[in-house]
Amino acid sequence: MRRLLRLLPLAVTLLATMLAPAAALAKPRIVATLPDLWAITEYLVGDLVDVQVATHFGQNPHDFEIRPSQMLLVKRADLLIRNGLEEDGWIDSIVEGSGNPKLLRGSPNVVEAVLGVEVLKVPRGPIDRSLGDVHPLGNPHYTIDPRNLPIVTANVVAGLSRVMPDLAPKFEANRKAFLEKVGSAYEGWKQQLAPYKGVGLVSYHDSWPYLEQAFDLTECGIEEDRPGIPPSPTHIAMLIRTMKAKKCTLILHDSWYPTDTSEFVARQTGAKVLIVPQGPGAMDDTKDYFKWMGYLIDHLANALK
Amino acid sequence: MCRRWRGRWVSLLVAVCLLAPGPAGAQDAESLKQDLETMRKQFDVMKQQYESRLQELSERLQKLEAQKAVTSPTSATPAATPTTPAPATPSVLSQTAQPAAPEPSLMELLKPHQPFAFAGPGRVLLFDIGVAGDFVTDFTSNDAERRHDGTFNGRENRLFPRHVELILAGRVDPYASATVRFTGAEEPTGPGGRETEINAKLEEANGTLLTLPFGTTLRFGLMPPRFGTLNVVHEDDLPQVDRPDVLRRFFGQEEMNTEKGLEAFWLLPTPFYQELSLGVFNGDNEEAFGRGSIRDPLILSRLRNFWELGDTGGGLQVDVSGGTGETFEDRRNTIAGLGAKYKWFPPTGYPFPLITLAGEAIYENRGFAFTNGAGETSTHWRESWGYYAYGQYDWTKRWAAGLRYDWTELPTASGHEWALSPYLQFKPSEFLRFRVQYKHTRGLSPAVRDADEVFLQGSFIMGVHPTERF
Repeated sequence: MRRLLRLLPLAVTLLATMLAPAAALAKPRIVATLPDLWAITEYLVGDLVDVQVATHFGQNPHDFEIRPSQMLLVKRADLLIRNGLEEDGWIDSIVEGSGNPKLLRGSPNVVEAVLGVEVLKVPRGPIDRSLGDVHPLGNPHYTIDPRNLPIVTANVVAGLSRVMPDLAPKFEANRKAFLEKVGSAYEGWKQQLAPYKGVGLVSYHDSWPYLEQAFDLTECGIEEDRPGIPPSPTHIAMLIRTMKAKKCTLILHDSWYPTDTSEFVARQTGAKVLIVPQGPGAMDDTKDYFKWMGYLIDHLANALK
Repeated sequence: MCRRWRGRWVSLLVAVCLLAPGPAGAQDAESLKQDLETMRKQFDVMKQQYESRLQELSERLQKLEAQKAVTSPTSATPAATPTTPAPATPSVLSQTAQPAAPEPSLMELLKPHQPFAFAGPGRVLLFDIGVAGDFVTDFTSNDAERRHDGTFNGRENRLFPRHVELILAGRVDPYASATVRFTGAEEPTGPGGRETEINAKLEEANGTLLTLPFGTTLRFGLMPPRFGTLNVVHEDDLPQVDRPDVLRRFFGQEEMNTEKGLEAFWLLPTPFYQELSLGVFNGDNEEAFGRGSIRDPLILSRLRNFWELGDTGGGLQVDVSGGTGETFEDRRNTIAGLGAKYKWFPPTGYPFPLITLAGEAIYENRGFAFTNGAGETSTHWRESWGYYAYGQYDWTKRWAAGLRYDWTELPTASGHEWALSPYLQFKPSEFLRFRVQYKHTRGLSPAVRDADEVFLQGSFIMGVHPTERF
């Protein structure tokens, strides 16, 4: 009996927890795993729904550390929007720790935004860690190419409509307006970069193949020969030779990587280092999709002048 | 291909010209001209048809490649029709959202499901496999080696595999996941001998039910229970080479990480993160419990709290734990734990330097069987406690240094000990880590002597490994 009494406080706490009514939610909550998906979804939902992002803006998703606060975020969410190419593979552990079965992979409340997108740089042949922290399913930065947004937004709107069917027409209307804006912005961005068609870009991390595809630029080289592994001196020496031979004059450097290697390469080749936000919000005043893309294109065009 | 066709037609034209009669009249010349014009038109039509067919095949190939690249076959999310990227034109905008998919019914949830296995045609493995290796060297004095009272007793002045694990984890079905972990480690055999052997054991094998009512998550089987801060951390993931002394003294070298039982946890509906867990186990930890019976179970509970301290203030975790069970002498042992961890890193840009401050205190109130001269047995109660605290500074992704302080009483003997351990860590990549640690121990008990030790550690991970946690 005394033993049972000892457990009483715990039992009461548990009972109270289980019977506690779920917080009354005025609006369904959406969680996007990455800032680019958040920024796009914001346009699709307008003021109808709250959208939150699981990562911090400006945080490199490759260096992500699970924090309990993210479990709380997922616990309260009704729809989860994922990248779908394992850029956000950590979300599985968060969902499992959150006790929110609605957001487990395979549920109708989970959107894989990539479905239908033509994925670039899908590795062929044997894949292991000798290749570094490689993405086995292909390069995950597909939202940088505005031409992928019709597919991405269709996936997101499909998910939103499953969770909130009554709002589906509004989401579809928002999507149409967003894509029209993207279409006209894309024409402007293309014109800005048109004089530099075919120019070769060097980058620290392999973040920009979709940018190069969208704006007829080319890849001159990547400092990280294996993703997530600091570049070897031999590779850097080869890259410097290549840059000199091909006359590549610009290094795109994601804002969350240390700049020492890029600065060294720039000194050796006379190239410029352009520090850019790899995702919305990674630098000041770039949380909005158009501001982010605008920042990229403006600075790229200026640097290539 | 086009060139070949063009070449054939040019040859044909040349042949026609050569075979044409030399003295041709004006009429014949006109007729020939018309024939040539007709043939040119036919050629153009064929060329257009050919190019159109080629374009069609090329597009089809691209679509097939795109479909192949697209992933996540397990997702039930209906996709937009896979197409190659196209400009944001009204035709593309006409893609509409998919209709709502039904939620699984109660009957569906209750229906038994076929466990996943190796997939057939693609031979895709439907669960994750990871291997971790952790090798340690404990350099110490010859005296400490003879006495076997080093931190890794029985393995002083040896390089040994402290912990090699094979982990298999994945989803069982849409409603459950499972983890199985086998480990191998060198352990001393025999009292006071130098003999060691590699022991392999099943260290974790549990299923987790993910879709229970009221946000309940339930684990059953063999597991490291949620107690304190470091109890759930595997050997290769510890913040220093060795486990802090208070945990080693109170729960033994292996910690309470192989308990069999049930554990449920909930995220409480509070404005900040609070996870409450409650577990019922056999009580197989030989140091602290050891009764090993579900009739007199070991009951453990933990409340874990976490606060984000603003956008730039870092994160703070505080956990409070409690437990009660019976020792191998059938005497009650009640334990309590209080842990705190704080981390700070720049909120944007390169996430270093990273500063970690953490500590944990354990209290124990334990009964011992006491037999007096008349042969009467009674229970003698003893309270003891201890703690550790450490700070770590990661100045880059690769390099970190830290300092840990240990202070603990001995749960089964009088006196206490303290230790100071500076360490340096180097990580060439996310999957490979080396550490060197010096440990000075001062024993203020007949059971503990002063010792100086240097640990070297090399750890690696292959395949899948859980994401780094706070």
